[in-house]
Amino acid sequence: MPGRIERPRGLISSHSEHRFMQLDSAVVLAAGEGTRLRPLTKHRPKPLLPAANRPILAYVLDALIDAGIDDLHLVVGYQRDRVQDHVGPTYRGRTVTYHVQEKQLGTGHAVLQARDAIDADFLVVNGDEVVTAAMVEAVMDAHSTTDAATLGVAESDRAAEYGAVRLDGDRIVELVERPQDDTYRLLNAGIYACGPSLLADIESTERRAGELHLTDAIADQIREGNAVRGVRIEGLWSTATYPWDLLTVARDLLAVGHVDEPERSRGVYVDETASVHGDATLRAPVVVGPDAVIGPGAVVGPDTALGRNTTVDAGAVVEGSVLDIDTRVGSNATVVDAVTGQGVTVGPGATVPGGEADVRVGTTIHENRRLGCIAADRADIEGGATVAPGTLIGPDASVGTGAYASDVVPEGTEVRR
Amino acid sequence: MCGIIGYVGDADETLSVLLDGLSNLEYRGYDSAGVAVGGDGLRVEKRAGELDTLESALDADGGSFAGPVGVAHTRWSTHGPPTDANAHPHTDASGRVAVVHNGIIENYRDLRDELEADGVTFASETDTEVVPHLVARELRRGRDPEAAVRAAAERLEGSYALAVVVAGTDALFAVRQDSPLVLGVGEGERFVASDVPAFLERTRDVVYLDDDEFVRLDAEGWTVTNAEGEVVEKEVRTVEWEAEQTGKSGYDHYMLKEIHEQPISLRQCLSGRVDELDGRITVEELDDLGDPATVQFVACGTSYHAALYGAQLLRSAGVAANAYYAHEYATSPAPVSTADLVVGVTQSGETADTLSALREASRRGAETLALTNVVGSTAARESDHVLYIRAGPEIGVAATKTFSSQLIGVNLLTAHLTDRGVKRRRDLVDDLRGIANDVQAVLDESEAAAVVEAFVDSDAFFFLGRGLDYPVALEGALKFKEITYEHAEGFAAGELKHGPLALVTANTPVFAVITGEGEAAKKTIGNVKEVEARDAPVIVVTDGVAEAGRYADHVLDIPKTNERLAPLLANVQLQLVAYHMAAHLDREIDKPRNLAKSVTVE
Repeated sequence: MPGRIERPRGLISSHSEHRFMQLDSAVVLAAGEGTRLRPLTKHRPKPLLPAANRPILAYVLDALIDAGIDDLHLVVGYQRDRVQDHVGPTYRGRTVTYHVQEKQLGTGHAVLQARDAIDADFLVVNGDEVVTAAMVEAVMDAHSTTDAATLGVAESDRAAEYGAVRLDGDRIVELVERPQDDTYRLLNAGIYACGPSLLADIESTERRAGELHLTDAIADQIREGNAVRGVRIEGLWSTATYPWDLLTVARDLLAVGHVDEPERSRGVYVDETASVHGDATLRAPVVVGPDAVIGPGAVVGPDTALGRNTTVDAGAVVEGSVLDIDTRVGSNATVVDAVTGQGVTVGPGATVPGGEADVRVGTTIHENRRLGCIAADRADIEGGATVAPGTLIGPDASVGTGAYASDVVPEGTEVRR
Repeated sequence: MCGIIGYVGDADETLSVLLDGLSNLEYRGYDSAGVAVGGDGLRVEKRAGELDTLESALDADGGSFAGPVGVAHTRWSTHGPPTDANAHPHTDASGRVAVVHNGIIENYRDLRDELEADGVTFASETDTEVVPHLVARELRRGRDPEAAVRAAAERLEGSYALAVVVAGTDALFAVRQDSPLVLGVGEGERFVASDVPAFLERTRDVVYLDDDEFVRLDAEGWTVTNAEGEVVEKEVRTVEWEAEQTGKSGYDHYMLKEIHEQPISLRQCLSGRVDELDGRITVEELDDLGDPATVQFVACGTSYHAALYGAQLLRSAGVAANAYYAHEYATSPAPVSTADLVVGVTQSGETADTLSALREASRRGAETLALTNVVGSTAARESDHVLYIRAGPEIGVAATKTFSSQLIGVNLLTAHLTDRGVKRRRDLVDDLRGIANDVQAVLDESEAAAVVEAFVDSDAFFFLGRGLDYPVALEGALKFKEITYEHAEGFAAGELKHGPLALVTANTPVFAVITGEGEAAKKTIGNVKEVEARDAPVIVVTDGVAEAGRYADHVLDIPKTNERLAPLLANVQLQLVAYHMAAHLDREIDKPRNLAKSVTVE
């Protein structure tokens, strides 16, 4: 196996041998669509969906740079132009190298796309989960060259929905994807420090349904008795599985003020280039992005994030919602518990009343979700229309003037009165 | 049209700094490159071809190129073909003096005759070579190196930015006249270059040199003097741009990266300039602009197409306006007086033809405005007013995002001249704020890549448009010919039957740009029917308002927006058409043959 570095095998990880490691390189996985987040992922991968009013990926890259990582490798694939356009050739002055994963054949396969750039211990981080610099530092602190891998693990009562972990001391003894067994209390937070030999181990890992998973490769290491360390991380860890989870992510970030914009008053974060009319009301916690405009008499918040260049016209009410870039809410419209994609239009007097509803995703019904609606990129809810709670509106779809929409409005279609 | 860089600093770093600088300047020209490293001695290596050829020649030399000063050059031929001999740096017979030059020395023939009469033998066919021989003659006459370079520069007529090293002197001398030259001030090292990106990775502190200024750089520091030898106080400015031109963000070409950057660059262009709450457009930089009787645009290439569009916008708003090729205007200007405004549209702010036209207008008393992308560029400094388009650095030789930002720039100018920040334009403000999203929609959904596949083996490509779509037809054809090398022409749609229709056959695809529902759109649909009658395949680029798609073999859709902004979106489709055709033909997309990014010679 070319470039393979031999590493002592077996049980050797005592803290007396531990050597602190500052790693230089990180491989960020940003190639996956996130199919359960459709229709929001029509034109962009999950890492570019909004966490409050910035892409999830921006939080990941900031955490890495703040933890001292200077060499950034992004594995891109699905709608990769969007990632490349957003991040650019450098991010905060650090060079970004792109590795294209033409087909999304699993996280292990994704990591292998960057293998030529890796020659020492390195980090792997999921690009679609909000993490902090402290978490990245904790994983690097715990990792030593004698470990096959070190994983950040977080306590969560939803561990069984993600990659679940069992620890024995600081050793991971079990790593299993979505076990559907609620006795698990720890989840894999998607921050890995890896020895370079793990690349060869990934390659020899058995594929499942044609896909090569990083976690399978690590589970093999555990089975072979190699040192896989788990380090408990604390703080805000947040991600979205379904579109309505983006509302929770925003609420989590706003609750701790983890946003970019300056705090104007307690819990009210407003970018300097935004214009907020003197007669508008901002209810904390709320964040208003660059070039956003809020008209007279509008009420925005609480738990609301407005992306760049969004508009909330006179007298409109926006509550508990995430409005992505270029979304425009017309005068006297009401938008509650909604997630909009880019360039969505909500006409004057339209109503998205919000509240709990059963939401249909594919063939599955998710009961009693708090969701006003999901409106994908450039969807148009015209003046005076009403959208029932739990409605999913596809990209370029429209709800005509005064019409009533519920359930699912497919891409490019129109609901008429 | 060339790029130069000079360096004074760490002897072991000189060569690598110079080569990095050349690589960053490659967009300025690339048919030959060379480097000279000085100090006690002087070593020169130069090669026809791209930078790689020079680098392999240097590798073959081994690492003997060390010294505290050096100059380097990337060339785009104006005098003499690209050969090793014609590549810069040029030296004198003794090999003591090495010179790199950007510009044209107009009196080189006379100087060459004079030097040849003196017994000097020339090694190249370039105008530049007179400079090292002049310097060497002054040295032989007993002058010190600085005085010798000054005396030589005094003899030169034309445009030049020169950097000179002399063996035995740990200093670098540079002088400019009508060609761009900037000084970079780093920690223990100093630079001169044609453009900031050459050294942006090492320092952001720059000094823009003015005409007739002479600079000496050495280990101690730098001194700028005027033609009389008096010291000039210069302001050190900090450049804000990221050194991001080093990366293509994972794209195969800068051009595609820049096409995709348009939503971002348009947001930057508009930020703070449109006020949604007020429904007003306000451009602070233009506050002290007068109320001109007429507006004359001067520009070349892609910028000329933005100028044509701008002139039409102003005319439709009731302001007398015209667009002129800057190179024509410089020699045969339109009547112009102190009551008029002359607008130079130039991405780089260094386009020699446009600078000449602006100077001519200024000499005749007109108010001047530079519409440019480069802060501190010559056009920006020499004009009475400047409106920056804020598109960020553009590396691809074929202009894309800067054209879109220029179109927004002339919209801002038109709104300023006609509304004076007083009149409300709620619809236009809404549509301007939506333009980035509309461009994103085109990028997300364009069928251009698939459409061009059908036309790979065509004889020629024609582009039609009327009204505001006409400049876009011209620009679409220009982009296409620049990077595909296929024959392409843009026509005013109405002109078709007055001649060009004779060229139309079943093997000449016609791209028709049809936006809005006005009389212009209806008439262009009539022209589309004319070419269809000649069996030409028709591709319509349209917002669908006039239902033009019914008459087309293929349709490239754009979102509906304000009629004056629709041409910008249509142009994005045509950028993608040109790009995908060129990619299909495997062309050198970022560096098309014979072309250079900013043309700083007339």
